[in-house]
Amino acid sequence: MNKELEKLISLHDLDVMISDLANKDISKQEKKLGLSPDSAANELQKMRDELASTIVRKNRDLYEQLAGHYGNAVVPVVNHRCSGCFTQLPTAFFTSQDKNDLVETCPSCGRFIYWCD
Amino acid sequence: MKRECFCKWNMSSKNREDAIAELIREFSFQKTTENLLQIALETRELAEPTIVHEGIAMPHCRSILVDDFMIIIGKSDSGIPWPEKTVNIIILFITPVKPSGPSEHMELIKHLAKTLRSGGAEKILSAESPSEAASILKFSYGGNHKDE
Repeated sequence: MNKELEKLISLHDLDVMISDLANKDISKQEKKLGLSPDSAANELQKMRDELASTIVRKNRDLYEQLAGHYGNAVVPVVNHRCSGCFTQLPTAFFTSQDKNDLVETCPSCGRFIYWCD
Repeated sequence: MKRECFCKWNMSSKNREDAIAELIREFSFQKTTENLLQIALETRELAEPTIVHEGIAMPHCRSILVDDFMIIIGKSDSGIPWPEKTVNIIILFITPVKPSGPSEHMELIKHLAKTLRSGGAEKILSAESPSEAASILKFSYGGNHKDE
């Protein structure tokens, strides 16, 4: 898989983690388990910023723009469709041997897309 | 909560990173997915070790790399440093990112919190078999994923 795409996926997963820990109900349950969601979220935010700084500026800016607009900037391709907007992707997307070799975006919604295992 | 879980008894790992890798391998993902999930779970652990009871760790995250709940219980008789306290039971789970939001993820954490706090923690630490451990957490036992 393209290293930049790997970073974008990791960035997305980190954003999900941070957002989950800020969720009132999840935070309450984590506290019941003896965890400290607030301080964990702060630490994760630092790691998130560090990871983001290693992503190519163009991709990072697009990621932030998409995340702000849609809530999710990276989505898997499921049944030849972008799972963000459900648009059928053009055949040209499926010809490559390793489909995750390049950073690709959905031609319809613009989200970063990747192919699942 | 009748979610399916897998179990890995007699874990061989001697540290937290190896233990997470040993459990993720049981799901039989491709290497890249395995690595990215490992990074996500390790990152969460670096932010705060997820020790939820003496002897029990609960590495967990939501990820766009899975499309269903992935739950596994690991057991190490000799214990695994996590990293400052030793754990014998690891309840690892990864839940999917769905358009409906994190409600199912929250329900799973709520279920585990309730079960562990109402005597489940002590019971699972003394569980003698994978199926017993799964039953204590009210999961259906799916065996060893690699055996399928």
